[in-house]
Amino acid sequence: MAESVEVKKEISRNISRISSEGASYVDVRFYLDDSSETILLYDGDLEANDTTVESGIGVRVLWDGAWGFAATSDLSGLGVCFDKAAMNARTASELVKVPLAMGVKDPVKGNYTSPVEIDPFSVSLRDKLGFLTRLDADLKEDFILKRIVYTNFQKRRIHFWNSEGSEISKDLIGVFGMIMVMSLDSDGEMQKRSMSLYSRGDGSTGWGMITDPELFSGHSTRIKSELAELIKAEPLEFGRRSVILLPGQGHLQVHETIGHPLELDRILGYELSYAGGSFIDLDSFGKLRYGSDKLSVSSYGGIANSPGSFGFDDDGTPERDYLLIDRGLLVNALTSRAMVNEANERAGREVFQQSGGAARASSFYRAPIDRMTNVNILPGTDGNEEDIIASTEDGIVVDNPVSWSIGSNREHFHFGCEIAWEVKNGEKTRILRNPTYQGHTLEFYGSLSAVGDESTWKVEQINNCGKGEPNQVMQIGHGVPVIKFDDVVTGERK
Amino acid sequence: MLDANIRKILMQVRDEAADEGIRATFHLHHEKSHLMRIGNNSVSLNTSEDLMRLDVEVTDGRKQGSQTYLGTIKEAETIREILGEAREKARVASPKTYDPIPDEVELTVSEDSQYDPMLADMDPSLKAAAYREIFKKLGEQYNYSGSWSSGSMEVYILTTANRNEVYHKGTDQLFSIVLKHPQAKWELTHNQTGWRPSDFAVEKTIDALNKLIPVFENNKGYKAEPGEYTVIFGADAISEIISMMAYTGLSGRGWEEKQSWTSRFKPGEMILGEEISVVDDPSNPETFMFGFDMCGRKRNIFPLVADGTLRNLMYDSSTAARYGKNPTGHDTGSPSIVMDTGFGQEDPLDAVRDMGRVLYIPGLHYVNIPSVSKGIFTGSSRFNAVLVEDGKIVSPVFSSRVTDSFQNVLGNVKVVSSVSESVNISNTYERRTPVAMSVPSYFVSEGVKITDSADSF
Repeated sequence: MAESVEVKKEISRNISRISSEGASYVDVRFYLDDSSETILLYDGDLEANDTTVESGIGVRVLWDGAWGFAATSDLSGLGVCFDKAAMNARTASELVKVPLAMGVKDPVKGNYTSPVEIDPFSVSLRDKLGFLTRLDADLKEDFILKRIVYTNFQKRRIHFWNSEGSEISKDLIGVFGMIMVMSLDSDGEMQKRSMSLYSRGDGSTGWGMITDPELFSGHSTRIKSELAELIKAEPLEFGRRSVILLPGQGHLQVHETIGHPLELDRILGYELSYAGGSFIDLDSFGKLRYGSDKLSVSSYGGIANSPGSFGFDDDGTPERDYLLIDRGLLVNALTSRAMVNEANERAGREVFQQSGGAARASSFYRAPIDRMTNVNILPGTDGNEEDIIASTEDGIVVDNPVSWSIGSNREHFHFGCEIAWEVKNGEKTRILRNPTYQGHTLEFYGSLSAVGDESTWKVEQINNCGKGEPNQVMQIGHGVPVIKFDDVVTGERK
Repeated sequence: MLDANIRKILMQVRDEAADEGIRATFHLHHEKSHLMRIGNNSVSLNTSEDLMRLDVEVTDGRKQGSQTYLGTIKEAETIREILGEAREKARVASPKTYDPIPDEVELTVSEDSQYDPMLADMDPSLKAAAYREIFKKLGEQYNYSGSWSSGSMEVYILTTANRNEVYHKGTDQLFSIVLKHPQAKWELTHNQTGWRPSDFAVEKTIDALNKLIPVFENNKGYKAEPGEYTVIFGADAISEIISMMAYTGLSGRGWEEKQSWTSRFKPGEMILGEEISVVDDPSNPETFMFGFDMCGRKRNIFPLVADGTLRNLMYDSSTAARYGKNPTGHDTGSPSIVMDTGFGQEDPLDAVRDMGRVLYIPGLHYVNIPSVSKGIFTGSSRFNAVLVEDGKIVSPVFSSRVTDSFQNVLGNVKVVSSVSESVNISNTYERRTPVAMSVPSYFVSEGVKITDSADSF
C-alpha cells in the first residue's frame, strides 16, 4: 500500500474532524506493510513456503470514556472507517460505569528502526532454502524419526498519528527460528529435543541470527546427542526436589507467572472472559513479596535486539526501562495510559506514575491492549550453571517446554518439559524423560534460591503469545539467567 | 457481501492461469466482524473490522508455494500479482519427496443456510442493552466482564482443475459474561452461541446465573485435595476434552507418525469407553456447517469413534499424499465434531443422586497436553465449579487441577446426558472461522485425577 501525501492529509483531516465532533482522543495506525514469511521443512519436505502481506488502517476513538475501534484494508473507505470507529465509541459510551481516559500528554515525534544488518526479506528464497536444507541435513541420524526446521520472518512499516499531534514511524523486523528432532523411547512414546533462536540482547536482528552458530544454527549435534540419551532414559519419579530452569524453560515460566499476572488490564479485570484475571490487586504494589530477595524483574530492560523492543508503543509512549519486582518486592506493572489512569482513579492514589509503554496491537485490525514488552529476570551473583548445580543436593535441571497450563488468575501452574538432568550431591548424574513440575506462584518464587550470572543470561523469543478478544498473537522477549527453585513438586503422582 | 466483480475477476485470472497450465487454488475470505468487550460493568471496547484476504497456492510438480494478501482487491491485476508471487515461490521451492494431491472443487456449491442478515449487521446498541439488563437484574454490586462477537464470513474457492466454484456465507455469534464477586473473587460465567439473533436470549443468562449466585454467596470454597474423584464434566469441559482427544488421537498424521496416543491401536479396536461415540458431521446444525473443505472436497458424515471403537482417522491433503491415503475432507478450519448423547437425566444433579460426593466442573481452563503419546491432558476448574453431595450442590470449589489421560476419563464414563449442547470453540486468532461442537450437556466420569488445588477461585 503506497504511503501518499494525500493519504496522510486525509488521515490528519479525519483526526481533526472526529476530534471536533466531540472525541476526547483519536489515534490511527497505518500499516503500509505487514509481511510475514514462513518456511517449514518437515523431514526435509518443504511443507510451508508461505508469505502473507497485509496493509490497512486501524482507527481508535475515545468518546465520553469509551473506546470505539474500526479497521479496514480498503483505503478508499478511510472516512467511513473513522465514522465507524466514532460511532462504535458513541455506542459504547451509553454503557460506561468506569470512564476511560488517556490523560494529557505532550505530542511525541519520533521513529524507530529495528537494528538490522541483513534484512531477511532481502535474502532470496533460494538462498534461504539452501541454508535451511543444509541445517536439516545436519539433523539426520538413523535413530531420528522426525526432523523440523522452522523459520518465520516479519517486517512491519507502521505510521502512528494521534489527536495530540504525535507522529511516529516504526520499521520493525522480527526473526524466529526453531529446530527439532524426535524419536521413540523404549515405551513407544515420542520424545523430542528442540532449540529456538535466542539472542544476547545486543547486536542486530535479521538473517544473520539464523546463520549464527551460537544463536541458532550450531546446535544440531547437541540436540541430537541429548535425544539419543533421552530415548533410553528412565521417566522422572514423583517427588519434591530442587528445579533448575535453563533459559529455554525459564523464559516461559517468567512469561506465564510474572508477565501475564502483571499486565494491568488483567489486574483491573478486563480480561476475565478469555485470558483470565490476576491474583495481584492494586494494594499489592509496594507491599507484596513476590519472591525471594534474589528476584528482580524488569520491563524492556534496555534490550536492543528483541521482539519486545519497538521504540514506541501503540499509545505513542516511548519504551521505558523499569523494575517490576525489586529484590522480591512487587513495585510496578505492565501498563498503558488508559489503564494507569483508571488504576490511580480507582485506588484514590498514584499507584503508577506513568505508562510503562506496554500498549500493543498485533496488527492494524486489532486495538491495542496491555502486553508484555521484554520481561526479564536480572542476572544474579550465584555463578554459572555449573556453580548452581554444584550447590544442589537433590534436583533436576530442565529445558524447553512441552506443555504449560496456568490457573486462571495465574496463581498456580503446571509445566511439562522436553528433558531433565538429574542432580545428586552437586553433580549431573543422568538424563530423565517426561519431566513435569507444578507449583503456586508466590510460594514458587519465594523458593528462588539461586540466580545465574550474566554468562547464563539469554533473551529468549516468544512468537505466539495469545491474549485479548478478538485474539491477538504477539511477539515478546524475555531475558533470563539460569534460576533455581527449591522444594518443588515434580513428576506425576501414580 | 462479495460483489460480483470480485468473483468475476477471480474467475478471469483462474481461466488465464488454467490456460497457462498453472496448478493453482484461489481462496477468498471476507469477514465483517463486530465485537463488544465488557470490563468493569462498562463497554471497554467496541470494534468493527471489514477485511478481505486472498490466498493463492501454486503447485509446480512436487514444489509448492503460497501467497496471502490482506488489502484492497478490486482489480484483476492485483490477483495476477499475488498469483505471480505464489508461482515464483513454487518455482524456487525445493521438491517434496511425495506427489502433492491437487486441489479440486468437486462440485459447484453455494451455501448460506446459516446466514442471517440481521446478525451480520447487528446493532451494537442491542448488545449494550442486553448487558445493561443483566447488570440490573443480577445486581450492580458485582463486577461484570465479557464479550460478544458477531459477524459474517464468506469463503469463495476456485481451482485451476476445473471451473467449479464453492461459495459459503454464514453468520455466527458468541456471547459471554463473567460475574465476579469483588471481594470474595469467585467467578461465574454464561455463554450463548448460534447463527441467528434469536439464538440469544438475555433471560437464559439471567436464569442460569441466578441459580448459582446463592451457592457462591452463602458457602465457603471447597479445596479438593489431590486424589481420585467422581466428576460431572459440563458441556464446555467436554468440548475441551473431546477436541483435545481428537486433535491428539484422531489425526492421520499423528497416528501414522506414532506421535499419537492412538498409534498403538488400529481402526476397529477399542480406544475409549463404550459410552463414547464421536463423529464429524457437517450437517449437524449445532455446529457451523461447511459442506466442503478448503481444498474443495465435499464433506460428509465421518465416524471417528463408535461405542469406544476407533473407526476412522482424519487425513488432510498433505498427510494423505505423504502416506498414500485418501484425503478425508479435513483441510478445514471448521470441523463439526459431534459427541453422541446418552440416556442420562436432563439435570446432572439427578444423575449423581446416588453417587455421594461429586465435583461438578462445567469447564476447564487452559488445557494442555504434557504427553501426546500417552494422551495425558491437564487443565484447571474455573467458573461455576461446585461440590455436589447426594445430588445437592453444597459449596463452590476452589481452582482445582485435573491431570489425567483421555483413556481414563473417557474410559470410565458412567452417565452421559440425553441432551446436547452447542459449544462455540471459535478461534479468533486470525480470520473469522466459526467452529462449534455438539456435545452432551454433561457426563459423569469416575476416578478422575485431581492433582493440585488452590486456596482461591
